[in-house]
Amino acid sequence: MAPSLTRREALGGAAAAVVLASCGGGDAPPPGSAEPGSGAGLITSLLALQRATVAAYGACEEVLRSDARAQVRDIRDDEYRMARELEIIMTGERIEIPPGRSPEEYARTFPRLRGPEDALRFADHLEQRQVRAYLDAITDFPFERQRQTAAGFAWRQGVHLGMVRMLRGLPVAEGPFVTGAL
Amino acid sequence: MPERTDAERLERLLAIEERLVAAYEAGLRREAIEPGLGELLLEHEREHAAALRRALAGSERNPRATVPSPELTAALRSPSEFARFAARLERTAVDAYVAASAAMRDERLRQPLGSILACEAAHGVALRQSLGEFPIVD
Repeated sequence: MAPSLTRREALGGAAAAVVLASCGGGDAPPPGSAEPGSGAGLITSLLALQRATVAAYGACEEVLRSDARAQVRDIRDDEYRMARELEIIMTGERIEIPPGRSPEEYARTFPRLRGPEDALRFADHLEQRQVRAYLDAITDFPFERQRQTAAGFAWRQGVHLGMVRMLRGLPVAEGPFVTGAL
Repeated sequence: MPERTDAERLERLLAIEERLVAAYEAGLRREAIEPGLGELLLEHEREHAAALRRALAGSERNPRATVPSPELTAALRSPSEFARFAARLERTAVDAYVAASAAMRDERLRQPLGSILACEAAHGVALRQSLGEFPIVD
């Protein structure tokens, strides 16, 4: 059964999707990168998504305080490390690394976060989007080593999602399957 | 020994899920875990095990033998020891799901296994939170 969403949550989710798509989460692979079918386009899209997420967490941090702010900063640091790890993999596989966007470019696309509740709801939807992206990548990457990286990153995003839900006062997992069941 | 077929991989995951179910059942029975959290995690692990059994339906089964863990008996002495034990077991499950979801030959199984993986990740967060461990991100 599909989980029900309140209108505000639905709007938050839509905002996250729009923001991440406009920040590069839906970017096509750059011309001249590695061959089709190599997974190069997918890893480039994942890097764009990671970079947008790092910037989005920066916006969340600005309206959070104390413990929530510290934990969101930990998540942001981990998102940054993941972006760097993707860049290192891309370098090793000779995939062109596109330039990132400026903080101002990202900031223009973020929704207005009026307080901690808005920020954590936005972060929840960001993490759901991230988990889904890496779960899709487990299916879509052509090589097992790439799928293993995607699965490891899905685990890390699952940790982030659990932390954000905990900060929102929700059960850490909404159900036994974060996306589709067996 | 590394698994060679999808069925062997699923059997290994099922064995881990059954250990988790047994652990949370014992933890709840011996009051070694807060009931709300223990019931939630137990329900999820039972659902995971049932889903794996469904995925194995039609395969030639070769169930793995499981024996009660001496570590579990020791962990039931206190809530904090139990939470640490359960967190280690959840981590074992995560590692197994990472490897299995990437290696599955049947593409249709990869994402659902990843979906369970993300849920186990959240369980780890809940257990570490119950121990008051921060930061949770490694």
